[in-house]
Amino acid sequence: MDGVRVGKRLIGTQSPVTVGWENVPRVEGGPVKQFIFTWFQPTVLFALIAFWYYAPNSIAKASTAIGIGIGFKVLLLTMEWFFPRHESWRLTWKELVTDLFYVGLGYTILRMIDGYIGDGPMIEVIQHYFQSDKFTWFTGLPLLAQAFLISFIFDFGQYWMHRGMHNWYPLWLPHSVHHYITQLNINKGAVGNPVELFLIGLGIGGFFDFLPRAALLAGAFGMAIGTYQHINVRFNSPRWWRFLFNTTEHHSVHHSQDFEASRSNFSNTYIFIDRIFGTCVDGEAELLGMEGGRRMSIREQMTFPFTEGWKTLKEKFGKDKFGENRFAEPAGVPAE
Amino acid sequence: MNARFIDWIWHVRGSLALAPEQSSDDAFDRLRPLFRETGTSHERTSDTLTFRKKDQAAQDKMSVFDGGVLQIEKGTAGSVLHYRLTSRALLFCFLAPLLFLGFAQLTIAMGKLEKPSTEAEDKAGKDSKAAKKQAEVPMNPIDKALGAPAPEKPKKDGADKAKERDKKHSPTSAYVFAAIFAALYVIGRILEDRRLRALFKKSLLTA
Repeated sequence: MDGVRVGKRLIGTQSPVTVGWENVPRVEGGPVKQFIFTWFQPTVLFALIAFWYYAPNSIAKASTAIGIGIGFKVLLLTMEWFFPRHESWRLTWKELVTDLFYVGLGYTILRMIDGYIGDGPMIEVIQHYFQSDKFTWFTGLPLLAQAFLISFIFDFGQYWMHRGMHNWYPLWLPHSVHHYITQLNINKGAVGNPVELFLIGLGIGGFFDFLPRAALLAGAFGMAIGTYQHINVRFNSPRWWRFLFNTTEHHSVHHSQDFEASRSNFSNTYIFIDRIFGTCVDGEAELLGMEGGRRMSIREQMTFPFTEGWKTLKEKFGKDKFGENRFAEPAGVPAE
Repeated sequence: MNARFIDWIWHVRGSLALAPEQSSDDAFDRLRPLFRETGTSHERTSDTLTFRKKDQAAQDKMSVFDGGVLQIEKGTAGSVLHYRLTSRALLFCFLAPLLFLGFAQLTIAMGKLEKPSTEAEDKAGKDSKAAKKQAEVPMNPIDKALGAPAPEKPKKDGADKAKERDKKHSPTSAYVFAAIFAALYVIGRILEDRRLRALFKKSLLTA
Protein backbone atom coordinates (compact mmCIF):
# COMPACT_ATOMS: atom_id res chain seq x y z
CA MET A 1 0.00 0.00 0.00
CA ASP A 2 1.30 3.47 -0.91
CA GLY A 3 -0.46 5.50 1.74
CA VAL A 4 -1.22 9.22 1.65
CA ARG A 5 1.18 11.91 2.79
CA VAL A 6 -0.21 14.06 5.62
CA GLY A 7 2.38 16.58 6.77
CA LYS A 8 5.55 14.62 7.39
CA ARG A 9 3.81 11.28 7.71
CA LEU A 10 2.59 8.56 5.38
CA ILE A 11 -0.84 7.40 6.49
CA GLY A 12 -2.29 4.05 5.42
CA THR A 13 0.78 2.11 4.32
CA GLN A 14 -0.12 -0.94 6.43
CA SER A 15 -3.91 -0.93 6.38
CA PRO A 16 -6.48 0.99 4.31
CA VAL A 17 -7.30 4.48 5.61
CA THR A 18 -9.39 7.02 3.72
CA VAL A 19 -7.82 10.46 4.00
CA GLY A 20 -9.63 13.75 3.28
CA TRP A 21 -13.30 14.66 3.72
CA GLU A 22 -13.88 14.68 -0.03
CA ASN A 23 -13.13 10.92 -0.06
CA VAL A 24 -15.35 9.98 2.89
CA PRO A 25 -18.74 8.64 1.72
CA ARG A 26 -21.91 10.55 2.56
CA VAL A 27 -25.27 9.33 3.82
CA GLU A 28 -27.28 7.94 0.94
CA GLY A 29 -31.07 8.07 0.69
CA GLY A 30 -33.97 10.46 0.23
CA PRO A 31 -34.01 14.13 1.22
CA VAL A 32 -35.68 13.43 4.57
CA LYS A 33 -33.01 10.94 5.58
CA GLN A 34 -30.25 13.28 4.39
CA PHE A 35 -31.79 16.14 6.35
CA ILE A 36 -32.07 14.10 9.56
CA PHE A 37 -28.54 12.73 9.36
CA THR A 38 -27.13 16.18 8.65
CA TRP A 39 -28.86 18.10 11.41
CA PHE A 40 -29.30 15.46 14.13
CA GLN A 41 -26.01 16.21 15.90
CA PRO A 42 -26.24 20.04 16.01
CA THR A 43 -29.93 19.91 16.95
CA VAL A 44 -29.30 17.62 19.91
CA LEU A 45 -26.34 19.73 21.05
CA PHE A 46 -28.20 23.05 20.95
CA ALA A 47 -31.38 21.56 22.42
CA LEU A 48 -29.38 20.20 25.36
CA ILE A 49 -27.60 23.51 25.88
CA ALA A 50 -30.94 25.34 25.91
CA PHE A 51 -32.41 22.76 28.25
CA TRP A 52 -29.64 22.92 30.83
CA TYR A 53 -29.38 26.69 30.54
CA TYR A 54 -33.06 27.34 31.29
CA ALA A 55 -34.22 24.32 33.29
CA PRO A 56 -35.44 25.34 36.77
CA ASN A 57 -33.20 24.34 39.67
CA SER A 58 -35.57 21.57 40.69
CA ILE A 59 -34.97 19.83 37.33
CA ALA A 60 -31.34 20.79 36.69
CA LYS A 61 -29.89 17.99 38.77
CA ALA A 62 -27.38 15.21 38.23
CA SER A 63 -30.13 12.57 38.34
CA THR A 64 -31.83 14.23 35.33
CA ALA A 65 -28.49 14.20 33.49
CA ILE A 66 -28.06 10.47 34.18
CA GLY A 67 -31.59 9.81 32.90
CA ILE A 68 -31.01 11.83 29.72
CA GLY A 69 -27.63 10.12 29.25
CA ILE A 70 -29.15 6.63 29.40
CA GLY A 71 -32.06 7.60 27.12
CA PHE A 72 -29.63 9.12 24.60
CA LYS A 73 -27.48 5.97 24.59
CA VAL A 74 -30.51 3.77 23.95
CA LEU A 75 -31.55 6.06 21.08
CA LEU A 76 -28.06 5.88 19.55
CA LEU A 77 -27.90 2.10 19.94
CA THR A 78 -31.21 1.90 18.06
CA MET A 79 -29.81 4.12 15.32
CA GLU A 80 -26.74 1.88 15.11
CA TRP A 81 -28.98 -1.13 14.68
CA PHE A 82 -31.03 0.35 11.84
CA PHE A 83 -28.41 2.54 10.15
CA PRO A 84 -25.01 0.91 10.70
CA ARG A 85 -22.05 2.77 9.28
CA HIS A 86 -20.25 -0.51 8.52
CA GLU A 87 -21.94 -3.93 8.53
CA SER A 88 -18.63 -5.29 9.81
CA TRP A 89 -19.10 -3.25 12.99
CA ARG A 90 -22.59 -4.59 13.73
CA LEU A 91 -23.40 -5.20 17.39
CA THR A 92 -23.73 -8.85 18.44
CA TRP A 93 -24.91 -10.32 21.73
CA LYS A 94 -21.37 -11.16 22.74
CA GLU A 95 -20.04 -7.68 21.88
CA LEU A 96 -22.87 -6.08 23.86
CA VAL A 97 -22.21 -8.26 26.91
CA THR A 98 -18.47 -7.53 26.72
CA ASP A 99 -18.99 -3.79 26.36
CA LEU A 100 -21.58 -3.61 29.14
CA PHE A 101 -19.22 -5.43 31.47
CA TYR A 102 -16.78 -2.53 31.11
CA VAL A 103 -19.56 0.06 31.33
CA GLY A 104 -20.66 -1.71 34.52
CA LEU A 105 -17.17 -1.62 35.98
CA GLY A 106 -17.06 2.12 35.29
CA TYR A 107 -20.33 2.73 37.15
CA THR A 108 -19.48 0.59 40.16
CA ILE A 109 -16.04 -0.50 41.32
CA LEU A 110 -13.99 2.02 39.32
CA ARG A 111 -16.17 4.87 40.54
CA MET A 112 -15.65 3.73 44.09
CA ILE A 113 -11.88 3.48 43.70
CA ASP A 114 -11.88 6.88 42.02
CA GLY A 115 -13.62 8.31 45.08
CA TYR A 116 -10.61 7.36 47.21
CA ILE A 117 -7.58 7.83 45.00
CA GLY A 118 -8.89 9.72 41.92
CA ASP A 119 -8.29 13.36 41.00
CA GLY A 120 -10.85 14.67 43.54
CA PRO A 121 -9.08 13.40 46.67
CA MET A 122 -5.65 14.20 45.15
CA ILE A 123 -6.66 17.82 44.54
CA GLU A 124 -8.02 18.08 48.06
CA VAL A 125 -4.65 16.96 49.41
CA ILE A 126 -2.75 19.46 47.25
CA GLN A 127 -5.07 22.31 48.25
CA HIS A 128 -4.74 21.36 51.87
CA TYR A 129 -0.93 21.33 51.56
CA PHE A 130 -0.72 24.77 49.97
CA GLN A 131 -3.59 25.97 52.16
CA SER A 132 -5.20 27.37 49.06
CA ASP A 133 -8.89 27.56 48.33
CA LYS A 134 -10.52 26.83 45.02
CA PHE A 135 -10.38 29.47 42.29
CA THR A 136 -13.69 31.06 43.19
CA TRP A 137 -13.53 33.82 40.52
CA PHE A 138 -14.49 31.09 38.08
CA THR A 139 -18.13 31.18 39.27
CA GLY A 140 -18.44 34.83 38.14
CA LEU A 141 -17.95 33.96 34.47
CA PRO A 142 -20.92 33.50 32.13
CA LEU A 143 -22.38 30.01 32.46
CA LEU A 144 -21.49 28.88 28.96
CA ALA A 145 -17.91 30.12 29.37
CA GLN A 146 -17.62 28.16 32.62
CA ALA A 147 -19.07 25.08 30.94
CA PHE A 148 -16.75 25.33 27.96
CA LEU A 149 -13.72 25.87 30.17
CA ILE A 150 -14.58 22.88 32.36
CA SER A 151 -14.81 20.57 29.34
CA PHE A 152 -11.89 22.18 27.52
CA ILE A 153 -9.51 21.97 30.49
CA PHE A 154 -10.44 18.33 30.96
CA ASP A 155 -10.07 17.56 27.26
CA PHE A 156 -6.75 19.39 27.06
CA GLY A 157 -5.40 17.28 29.92
CA GLN A 158 -6.85 14.18 28.36
CA TYR A 159 -5.21 15.03 25.02
CA TRP A 160 -1.75 15.03 26.61
CA MET A 161 -2.43 11.98 28.75
CA HIS A 162 -3.64 10.12 25.66
CA ARG A 163 -0.72 11.32 23.54
CA GLY A 164 1.61 10.32 26.35
CA MET A 165 0.04 6.87 26.31
CA HIS A 166 0.96 6.54 22.65
CA ASN A 167 4.52 7.77 23.19
CA TRP A 168 5.72 6.37 26.49
CA TYR A 169 5.85 2.61 26.87
CA PRO A 170 4.74 2.35 30.54
CA LEU A 171 1.61 4.36 29.70
CA TRP A 172 1.13 2.56 26.38
CA LEU A 173 0.86 -0.82 28.12
CA PRO A 174 -2.46 -0.12 29.88
CA HIS A 175 -3.81 1.81 26.88
CA SER A 176 -2.82 -0.80 24.26
CA VAL A 177 -5.69 -3.02 25.36
CA HIS A 178 -8.23 -0.42 24.21
CA HIS A 179 -6.65 -0.57 20.75
CA TYR A 180 -7.48 -4.26 20.41
CA ILE A 181 -11.15 -3.41 19.81
CA THR A 182 -12.03 -4.35 16.24
CA GLN A 183 -15.20 -2.37 15.79
CA LEU A 184 -16.73 0.82 17.13
CA ASN A 185 -20.07 1.36 18.84
CA ILE A 186 -21.14 3.80 21.50
CA ASN A 187 -20.14 1.59 24.45
CA LYS A 188 -16.62 0.97 23.19
CA GLY A 189 -15.29 4.08 24.92
CA ALA A 190 -15.62 2.16 28.20
CA VAL A 191 -13.54 -0.83 27.03
CA GLY A 192 -10.01 -0.93 28.34
CA ASN A 193 -7.77 -2.06 31.13
CA PRO A 194 -9.00 -0.60 34.46
CA VAL A 195 -5.59 1.05 35.02
CA GLU A 196 -6.03 3.04 31.82
CA LEU A 197 -9.65 3.92 32.61
CA PHE A 198 -8.42 5.33 35.89
CA LEU A 199 -5.59 7.32 34.28
CA ILE A 200 -7.71 8.81 31.51
CA GLY A 201 -10.28 9.96 34.07
CA LEU A 202 -7.79 12.20 35.89
CA GLY A 203 -8.32 15.93 35.48
CA ILE A 204 -7.50 19.23 37.14
CA GLY A 205 -11.04 20.65 36.96
CA GLY A 206 -11.38 20.12 40.68
CA PHE A 207 -9.13 23.11 41.35
CA PHE A 208 -11.88 25.42 40.16
CA ASP A 209 -15.10 26.27 41.88
CA PHE A 210 -17.99 26.46 39.46
CA LEU A 211 -21.77 26.61 39.47
CA PRO A 212 -23.52 23.21 39.45
CA ARG A 213 -25.39 24.25 36.30
CA ALA A 214 -22.09 24.85 34.49
CA ALA A 215 -20.97 21.33 35.35
CA LEU A 216 -24.23 19.97 33.95
CA LEU A 217 -23.72 22.00 30.75
CA ALA A 218 -20.16 20.70 30.47
CA GLY A 219 -21.51 17.17 30.86
CA ALA A 220 -23.97 17.90 28.05
CA PHE A 221 -21.08 19.00 25.78
CA GLY A 222 -19.30 15.75 26.49
CA MET A 223 -22.43 13.72 25.88
CA ALA A 224 -23.61 15.49 22.71
CA ILE A 225 -20.13 15.55 21.12
CA GLY A 226 -17.89 12.92 22.72
CA THR A 227 -20.40 10.06 22.43
CA TYR A 228 -20.22 10.15 18.63
CA GLN A 229 -16.54 9.29 18.82
CA HIS A 230 -17.28 5.55 18.93
CA ILE A 231 -20.64 5.46 17.11
CA ASN A 232 -21.38 3.05 14.28
CA VAL A 233 -23.64 5.48 12.40
CA ARG A 234 -22.78 7.63 9.40
CA PHE A 235 -23.66 11.32 9.70
CA ASN A 236 -23.19 14.17 7.24
CA SER A 237 -21.71 16.25 10.04
CA PRO A 238 -21.58 19.94 9.01
CA ARG A 239 -18.15 21.26 8.09
CA TRP A 240 -17.85 23.44 11.20
CA TRP A 241 -18.78 20.45 13.37
CA ARG A 242 -16.00 18.23 12.09
CA PHE A 243 -13.54 21.13 12.14
CA LEU A 244 -14.18 21.72 15.84
CA PHE A 245 -15.28 18.38 17.24
CA ASN A 246 -13.99 14.85 17.30
CA THR A 247 -16.11 12.52 15.16
CA THR A 248 -16.35 8.78 14.62
CA GLU A 249 -14.42 9.37 11.36
CA HIS A 250 -11.48 10.89 13.24
CA HIS A 251 -11.58 8.23 15.90
CA SER A 252 -11.77 5.35 13.44
CA VAL A 253 -8.51 6.65 11.93
CA HIS A 254 -7.05 6.63 15.44
CA HIS A 255 -8.12 2.99 15.89
CA SER A 256 -6.94 1.90 12.43
CA GLN A 257 -4.64 -1.09 12.04
CA ASP A 258 -2.22 1.33 10.37
CA PHE A 259 0.44 2.36 12.90
CA GLU A 260 0.96 5.93 11.67
CA ALA A 261 -2.80 6.56 11.47
CA SER A 262 -3.26 5.38 15.05
CA ARG A 263 -0.92 8.14 16.23
CA SER A 264 -3.37 10.91 15.43
CA ASN A 265 -6.63 12.42 16.73
CA PHE A 266 -5.88 12.12 20.45
CA SER A 267 -8.50 14.48 21.86
CA ASN A 268 -11.77 13.25 23.24
CA THR A 269 -14.18 16.09 22.44
CA TYR A 270 -12.38 18.99 20.74
CA ILE A 271 -10.47 17.91 17.64
CA PHE A 272 -9.18 21.48 17.25
CA ILE A 273 -6.69 20.63 20.01
CA ASP A 274 -5.22 18.07 17.60
CA ARG A 275 -5.26 20.69 14.84
CA ILE A 276 -3.31 23.09 17.07
CA PHE A 277 -0.63 20.50 17.85
CA GLY A 278 -0.46 19.01 14.36
CA THR A 279 -1.78 15.55 15.16
CA CYS A 280 -5.14 15.74 13.35
CA VAL A 281 -5.84 13.49 10.35
CA ASP A 282 -9.25 13.99 8.69
CA GLY A 283 -10.50 10.72 7.26
CA GLU A 284 -11.89 7.34 8.23
CA ALA A 285 -10.98 3.64 8.48
CA GLU A 286 -12.99 0.44 8.68
CA LEU A 287 -10.32 -2.12 9.56
CA LEU A 288 -9.48 -1.55 13.21
CA GLY A 289 -7.37 -3.12 15.89
CA MET A 290 -3.90 -4.49 16.55
CA GLU A 291 -2.06 -7.58 15.33
CA GLY A 292 -4.15 -7.68 12.16
CA GLY A 293 -7.44 -7.30 14.03
CA ARG A 294 -7.06 -9.99 16.70
CA ARG A 295 -9.96 -9.75 19.12
CA MET A 296 -8.72 -9.91 22.69
CA SER A 297 -10.69 -11.75 25.36
CA ILE A 298 -11.67 -9.94 28.56
CA ARG A 299 -9.27 -12.07 30.57
CA GLU A 300 -6.35 -11.06 28.40
CA GLN A 301 -7.47 -7.41 28.48
CA MET A 302 -7.22 -7.53 32.26
CA THR A 303 -3.75 -9.07 32.40
CA PHE A 304 -2.06 -7.95 29.14
CA PRO A 305 -0.37 -4.74 30.43
CA PHE A 306 1.24 -6.65 33.27
CA THR A 307 2.29 -9.74 31.34
CA GLU A 308 3.63 -7.63 28.46
CA GLY A 309 5.41 -5.30 30.86
CA TRP A 310 6.99 -8.27 32.62
CA LYS A 311 8.12 -9.74 29.30
CA THR A 312 9.74 -6.46 28.30
CA LEU A 313 11.46 -6.06 31.67
CA LYS A 314 12.81 -9.58 31.45
CA GLU A 315 14.04 -8.92 27.94
CA LYS A 316 15.72 -5.69 28.95
CA PHE A 317 17.23 -6.56 32.29
CA GLY A 318 17.22 -10.33 32.26
CA LYS A 319 20.15 -12.40 31.13
CA ASP A 320 20.13 -13.97 27.71
CA LYS A 321 21.13 -17.56 27.04
CA PHE A 322 24.81 -16.65 27.08
CA GLY A 323 24.49 -15.22 30.56
CA GLU A 324 25.03 -11.62 29.37
CA ASN A 325 22.90 -8.66 30.29
CA ARG A 326 20.95 -7.17 27.45
CA PHE A 327 20.97 -3.49 26.57
CA ALA A 328 18.19 -3.40 24.05
CA GLU A 329 16.57 0.03 24.16
CA PRO A 330 13.07 0.28 22.71
CA ALA A 331 13.16 3.05 20.12
CA GLY A 332 10.81 5.99 20.77
CA VAL A 333 8.83 7.40 17.87
CA PRO A 334 7.41 10.93 18.12
CA ALA A 335 3.70 11.27 17.40
CA GLU A 336 3.88 14.03 14.85
CA MET B 1 -23.85 -33.26 42.00
CA ASN B 2 -23.88 -34.43 38.45
CA ALA B 3 -22.33 -31.85 36.12
CA ARG B 4 -25.09 -32.45 33.59
CA PHE B 5 -27.57 -30.63 35.85
CA ILE B 6 -25.68 -27.38 35.59
CA ASP B 7 -23.69 -27.56 32.38
CA TRP B 8 -26.64 -26.31 30.29
CA ILE B 9 -25.54 -22.93 31.59
CA TRP B 10 -22.59 -22.79 29.20
CA HIS B 11 -23.35 -25.67 26.82
CA VAL B 12 -25.66 -25.55 23.83
CA ARG B 13 -26.91 -28.93 22.65
CA GLY B 14 -29.21 -29.91 19.88
CA SER B 15 -29.86 -32.23 17.00
CA LEU B 16 -30.96 -31.77 13.42
CA ALA B 17 -32.27 -34.42 11.07
CA LEU B 18 -30.37 -34.48 7.77
CA ALA B 19 -32.09 -34.83 4.44
CA PRO B 20 -32.75 -38.56 3.73
CA GLU B 21 -30.19 -38.84 0.94
CA GLN B 22 -27.51 -36.67 2.58
CA SER B 23 -24.27 -38.44 3.54
CA SER B 24 -22.21 -37.36 6.56
CA ASP B 25 -19.38 -36.34 4.22
CA ASP B 26 -21.67 -34.05 2.30
CA ALA B 27 -23.10 -32.59 5.51
CA PHE B 28 -19.66 -31.79 6.95
CA ASP B 29 -18.52 -30.31 3.64
CA ARG B 30 -21.43 -27.92 3.75
CA LEU B 31 -20.73 -26.96 7.37
CA ARG B 32 -17.03 -26.59 6.78
CA PRO B 33 -16.99 -22.85 5.81
CA LEU B 34 -18.22 -22.09 9.33
CA PHE B 35 -14.96 -23.47 10.71
CA ARG B 36 -12.67 -21.64 8.31
CA GLU B 37 -12.84 -18.41 10.33
CA THR B 38 -9.75 -16.78 11.89
CA GLY B 39 -8.73 -18.38 15.16
CA THR B 40 -10.70 -21.56 14.48
CA SER B 41 -9.13 -24.98 14.18
CA HIS B 42 -11.03 -28.19 13.48
CA GLU B 43 -10.48 -31.90 13.07
CA ARG B 44 -12.72 -34.27 11.22
CA THR B 45 -13.21 -37.98 11.22
CA SER B 46 -15.85 -39.83 9.21
CA ASP B 47 -18.72 -39.01 11.56
CA THR B 48 -17.35 -36.42 13.99
CA LEU B 49 -16.13 -32.85 13.70
CA THR B 50 -14.36 -31.22 16.65
CA PHE B 51 -13.52 -27.52 16.66
CA ARG B 52 -11.80 -24.99 18.90
CA LYS B 53 -11.79 -21.21 18.69
CA LYS B 54 -9.39 -18.68 20.15
CA ASP B 55 -9.70 -14.87 19.92
CA GLN B 56 -12.55 -15.32 17.46
CA ALA B 57 -13.53 -12.25 15.44
CA ALA B 58 -16.54 -10.24 16.58
CA GLN B 59 -18.37 -10.90 13.31
CA ASP B 60 -17.64 -14.64 13.30
CA LYS B 61 -21.15 -16.16 13.14
CA MET B 62 -20.21 -18.62 15.90
CA SER B 63 -18.14 -16.18 17.97
CA VAL B 64 -20.09 -17.01 21.14
CA PHE B 65 -18.71 -20.55 21.15
CA ASP B 66 -15.19 -21.59 22.08
CA GLY B 67 -15.31 -25.21 21.03
CA GLY B 68 -17.55 -28.20 20.49
CA VAL B 69 -18.30 -31.51 18.88
CA LEU B 70 -20.61 -32.23 15.95
CA GLN B 71 -21.52 -35.84 15.38
CA ILE B 72 -23.64 -37.53 12.75
CA GLU B 73 -25.45 -40.69 13.79
CA LYS B 74 -27.09 -43.00 11.34
CA GLY B 75 -30.47 -44.24 12.53
CA THR B 76 -33.28 -46.17 10.99
CA ALA B 77 -35.19 -43.04 10.07
CA GLY B 78 -32.12 -41.36 8.51
CA SER B 79 -29.03 -39.51 9.70
CA VAL B 80 -29.13 -37.01 12.53
CA LEU B 81 -26.59 -34.31 13.38
CA HIS B 82 -25.99 -33.97 17.12
CA TYR B 83 -24.03 -31.03 18.42
CA ARG B 84 -22.71 -29.95 21.78
CA LEU B 85 -20.89 -26.62 21.97
CA THR B 86 -19.37 -24.75 24.89
CA SER B 87 -19.43 -21.00 25.45
CA ARG B 88 -17.37 -19.12 27.98
CA ALA B 89 -19.31 -15.97 27.10
CA LEU B 90 -22.54 -17.58 28.31
CA LEU B 91 -20.89 -18.80 31.51
CA PHE B 92 -19.35 -15.41 32.12
CA CYS B 93 -22.67 -13.65 31.55
CA PHE B 94 -24.35 -16.09 33.93
CA LEU B 95 -21.81 -15.30 36.64
CA ALA B 96 -21.64 -11.55 36.01
CA PRO B 97 -24.70 -10.75 38.19
CA LEU B 98 -22.92 -12.40 41.13
CA LEU B 99 -19.88 -10.22 40.54
CA PHE B 100 -21.99 -7.06 40.52
CA LEU B 101 -23.92 -8.16 43.61
CA GLY B 102 -20.49 -8.55 45.19
CA PHE B 103 -19.63 -4.99 44.19
CA ALA B 104 -22.90 -3.82 45.76
CA GLN B 105 -22.05 -5.54 49.06
CA LEU B 106 -18.56 -4.05 48.94
CA THR B 107 -19.99 -0.57 48.39
CA ILE B 108 -22.30 -0.96 51.39
CA ALA B 109 -19.48 -2.31 53.55
CA MET B 110 -17.19 0.60 52.64
CA GLY B 111 -19.97 3.07 53.48
CA LYS B 112 -20.39 1.53 56.95
CA LEU B 113 -16.66 1.49 57.52
CA GLU B 114 -16.32 5.16 56.68
CA LYS B 115 -19.24 6.58 58.66
CA PRO B 116 -17.67 6.91 62.14
CA SER B 117 -14.59 8.81 60.96
CA THR B 118 -16.42 11.24 58.66
CA GLU B 119 -19.00 12.14 61.26
CA ALA B 120 -16.30 13.42 63.56
CA GLU B 121 -14.70 15.33 60.71
CA ASP B 122 -18.02 16.98 59.85
CA LYS B 123 -18.48 18.29 63.37
CA ALA B 124 -15.06 19.87 63.37
CA GLY B 125 -15.33 21.47 59.96
CA LYS B 126 -18.93 22.62 60.20
CA ASP B 127 -18.59 25.91 62.04
CA SER B 128 -15.74 27.38 60.08
CA LYS B 129 -16.97 26.46 56.61
CA ALA B 130 -20.69 27.00 57.02
CA ALA B 131 -20.42 30.74 57.51
CA LYS B 132 -18.30 31.22 54.40
CA LYS B 133 -20.49 29.12 52.13
CA GLN B 134 -23.63 31.00 53.08
CA ALA B 135 -22.43 34.03 51.12
CA GLU B 136 -24.36 35.16 48.05
CA VAL B 137 -23.69 33.06 44.94
CA PRO B 138 -22.60 35.32 42.08
CA MET B 139 -24.37 35.36 38.73
CA ASN B 140 -22.90 36.85 35.60
CA PRO B 141 -24.94 39.79 34.16
CA ILE B 142 -25.05 38.06 30.76
CA ASP B 143 -26.82 35.07 32.28
CA LYS B 144 -29.18 37.37 34.17
CA ALA B 145 -30.04 39.18 30.92
CA LEU B 146 -30.61 35.91 29.05
CA GLY B 147 -32.97 34.75 31.78
CA ALA B 148 -31.19 31.73 33.25
CA PRO B 149 -32.56 30.73 36.66
CA ALA B 150 -30.56 32.11 39.59
CA PRO B 151 -28.32 29.55 41.26
CA GLU B 152 -29.57 28.08 44.50
CA LYS B 153 -27.90 29.15 47.70
CA PRO B 154 -25.87 26.24 48.98
CA LYS B 155 -27.65 24.36 51.73
CA LYS B 156 -26.13 23.65 55.07
CA ASP B 157 -22.72 22.17 54.52
CA GLY B 158 -23.25 19.12 56.67
CA ALA B 159 -26.52 18.09 55.01
CA ASP B 160 -24.97 18.47 51.55
CA LYS B 161 -21.94 16.44 52.42
CA ALA B 162 -23.96 13.65 53.98
CA LYS B 163 -26.11 13.45 50.85
CA GLU B 164 -23.05 13.31 48.65
CA ARG B 165 -21.57 10.56 50.77
CA ASP B 166 -24.77 8.53 50.60
CA LYS B 167 -24.61 8.78 46.82
CA LYS B 168 -20.99 7.68 46.79
CA HIS B 169 -21.90 4.57 48.70
CA SER B 170 -25.10 3.78 46.89
CA PRO B 171 -25.21 0.18 45.61
CA THR B 172 -28.03 0.98 43.15
CA SER B 173 -25.92 0.97 39.98
CA ALA B 174 -24.38 -2.37 40.92
CA TYR B 175 -27.87 -3.83 41.40
CA VAL B 176 -28.96 -2.40 38.03
CA PHE B 177 -26.03 -4.02 36.24
CA ALA B 178 -26.64 -7.34 38.03
CA ALA B 179 -30.20 -7.23 36.68
CA ILE B 180 -29.01 -6.24 33.18
CA PHE B 181 -26.65 -9.22 33.01
CA ALA B 182 -29.28 -11.61 34.34
CA ALA B 183 -31.63 -10.44 31.57
CA LEU B 184 -28.84 -10.60 28.98
CA TYR B 185 -28.07 -14.16 30.00
CA VAL B 186 -31.65 -15.30 29.48
CA ILE B 187 -31.79 -13.50 26.13
CA GLY B 188 -28.41 -14.86 25.04
CA ARG B 189 -29.07 -18.45 26.10
CA ILE B 190 -32.27 -18.55 24.03
CA LEU B 191 -31.12 -16.34 21.14
CA GLU B 192 -27.72 -17.94 20.52
CA ASP B 193 -29.24 -21.43 20.70
CA ARG B 194 -31.77 -20.48 18.04
CA ARG B 195 -29.25 -18.64 15.90
CA LEU B 196 -26.92 -21.62 15.90
CA ARG B 197 -29.71 -23.99 14.92
CA ALA B 198 -30.78 -21.67 12.10
CA LEU B 199 -27.17 -21.32 10.96
CA PHE B 200 -26.62 -25.10 10.80
CA LYS B 201 -29.95 -25.61 9.08
CA LYS B 202 -29.18 -22.97 6.47
CA SER B 203 -25.68 -24.32 5.83
CA LEU B 204 -26.93 -27.89 5.44
CA LEU B 205 -29.70 -26.95 3.06
CA THR B 206 -27.94 -24.51 0.75
CA ALA B 207 -25.35 -25.68 -1.71
